[in-house]
Amino acid sequence: MMDWAKDSLQQVARTRDDRSEQVLPGLDDQASQELLKKFHPDYKGLERKINVGSNANSQKFPPELADLLEADSPLPESFEPKVDIETDVLIIGGGGAGVSAALALNDSGMKVHLATKLRLGDSNTVMAEGGIQSAITAEDSSRRHFADSYVGGHGNNDPDLLRYLCEQGPLSIRWLTELGCLFDKNEDGTFRVRAGGGTSIPRVLACRDYTGLEIMRVLKDAVLLTETHVLEDHAAMELLDDGEGQVTGAVLWHRIEKKLITVSARAVILATGGSGQLRIQKFPTSNHVGATGDGLVLAYRQGCQLLHTDSYQYHPSGASYPEALAGQLITESIRSAGAQVVNAHGDRFISEMSFRDVLAGAIIREVEEGRGVEIPNGRKGVWLDTPLVDMKLGEGTLKKQFPGLFHRFERYNIDPAKQPLLIYPTLHYQNGGIRIDIECRTDRKGLWAAGEVTGGLHGTNRLMGNSLLDITVFGRRAAQSVAEHLPERKPVTLSSLLKFRQQLKSLGGAKGTSPQLFPKASQMKFQLAEVPPAQETRGAENTKANETFEPPDPFGGRF
Amino acid sequence: METVNINISGKTIHARAGETIIQALWSAGLAEEVKTGCAGGVCGACTVTVRFPDDRPGGSDLACMRLVEEGMEIFPCPVDGIAPQAPTPYPDQEKIQSAFPTLNRCTKCGSCTSVCPMSIPVMDSVLRMQNAEFDQVADDFTTCIHCGLCRFVCEDKVKPHNMGIWVRRSLGMTGEFPVEPLADASENAGGEWQELLSGSPEEILRRCKSFRQTGKIEA
Repeated sequence: MMDWAKDSLQQVARTRDDRSEQVLPGLDDQASQELLKKFHPDYKGLERKINVGSNANSQKFPPELADLLEADSPLPESFEPKVDIETDVLIIGGGGAGVSAALALNDSGMKVHLATKLRLGDSNTVMAEGGIQSAITAEDSSRRHFADSYVGGHGNNDPDLLRYLCEQGPLSIRWLTELGCLFDKNEDGTFRVRAGGGTSIPRVLACRDYTGLEIMRVLKDAVLLTETHVLEDHAAMELLDDGEGQVTGAVLWHRIEKKLITVSARAVILATGGSGQLRIQKFPTSNHVGATGDGLVLAYRQGCQLLHTDSYQYHPSGASYPEALAGQLITESIRSAGAQVVNAHGDRFISEMSFRDVLAGAIIREVEEGRGVEIPNGRKGVWLDTPLVDMKLGEGTLKKQFPGLFHRFERYNIDPAKQPLLIYPTLHYQNGGIRIDIECRTDRKGLWAAGEVTGGLHGTNRLMGNSLLDITVFGRRAAQSVAEHLPERKPVTLSSLLKFRQQLKSLGGAKGTSPQLFPKASQMKFQLAEVPPAQETRGAENTKANETFEPPDPFGGRF
Repeated sequence: METVNINISGKTIHARAGETIIQALWSAGLAEEVKTGCAGGVCGACTVTVRFPDDRPGGSDLACMRLVEEGMEIFPCPVDGIAPQAPTPYPDQEKIQSAFPTLNRCTKCGSCTSVCPMSIPVMDSVLRMQNAEFDQVADDFTTCIHCGLCRFVCEDKVKPHNMGIWVRRSLGMTGEFPVEPLADASENAGGEWQELLSGSPEEILRRCKSFRQTGKIEA
């Protein structure tokens, strides 16, 4: 196994005892800044301005996102919205923020529809591993939570949003517990908290390394017991407005039936998540397949401002080997539990609990300066020395606390308790997004936004565990605001899109269409149903092949 | 590059060795064949059954985690969800029986365990549910991704994963919340916020930095 790395693995094993108790101080401000400027992908200066919409000629965007913001809608020019579904609140997005909003609206008496491009819960939320941050210990406070997050976000955070997040932390944990989330506890029944990168005190609650899965499956189970109308496989293609600046609904594309559906709503909550699948600068991503920045595109066409969209989070520990796992997350809490990050020579080069952007920058530096490990799949990486966890905390600890890690790597005959793993930064989180106020209101009446699709809260670098808190706090905040300020129903038109299209034409036309909906690599695309649907017979070739391919007995594989 | 031939619903694909079924389908332009969500092994969307023409063992798996192999035949096996049962604090034998009347119909065939892509000892856990050993059940189902395969293959209409989350949620909502959530809103909180947030953004940032180091807010 891994003969190509034999020498480097020997060096890692050789230095292990010596460095296991070694203390590395964090970098000072100046050193951190220099490291980021030189090695972090955000600071490469690849962003460009765009010439259409509300951020035209002002803000810069990564080219992958700029292309989408400058693209045209795939809606046929001839499409006219005719209302198919009339509802009070349309939530777009089936991850943690959208479902939290739906749950908070349950007793409001309003009719609620939740549309999701994939299935309910297929989201970045379900993939979150390490934990949720909240100041719940006696030594901690929401002010300290604020201070850590504000410094981590380089002071670019919206202080009002961040204060609200930190203050609501403990209440959100209680809300989740009352819904039935089981967070890991200490022997004495108190919640177990861990440090995260950049927390000055342990503050991260977890459910092993499946915290997002635990939260999402509970939220999903709970929302299915409410009156919420869930529309799965319904991708949002465009927002509708009344021609006078109020958002009044959306056009959805039913992926299975391949038809467009018009929804009239008095309020729309955008909770569409992030954009890791844009694979910025060709980085691999830890994101689910739907993370293509659709919400940014939709809100932008309505004239909403986007904030900090040139800032992305590259999670320091994405898997780099084996190839099938490339980009997938290896949770930060493993570092918190004692695993060290070492280069090809077996040397540590930075404190493992540095802020995520700084640690990612340091890993890229090691690799670019030739101290990384060359992997036969063409990737490079440094080691995450996982066997240290059992060395420090006792045999079996790693497996007990991080079952997800083992489950994934054991398929490849890699035992993380016995051998270090190769990691490299992976595109993980969209730090910026739609500008919102403290009530999750966007620049447009009738349109609210919550979760990863928004910008401002995390500044230009997010701390571990702050996004799971974000979605539960602000998903519910958006719902509360909607309940308090529900606008009157107004007509549904495509006025904003028409204006946008005119602008595009005057600028020489658009290249391509957006929202993108799926990763480019998947080759999946927006497609309306063919006419005529009924008459056509299946191709003879396929029929023949199918005859020899009866589905197997599901019990056939029993052992 | 080493390639392997796989079959999906009757179509042959040349896949690259070392990639997953999902990756192979994407490269072949056949992404719609298997429902996909997270592509990271935790959402449970991409359930498939696989079979081999020779005597290699087949069975069910997640297409996003399963590597392609020469001759592999793949059959999409999407499982629709069913309506959940409302959880209840302080679960006991009677409560789980009434929420899931089919619980005792388990004939211990073991199919549920054999299909679980997360290697959960599903059948053993169902027997524990019958005995109301709920702490262990909650632990068993920690890694459950709700793909639904265990329910899909059960000939006795037992619903293991639905019962698993019912037990976990019921236990989660049992008892008192272990900390006073408003303890943080101490008398000093308002004053501390004022101290922390006064002045220019630069001053706030400087104060936050020293707070992180000293644990105290400087004036």
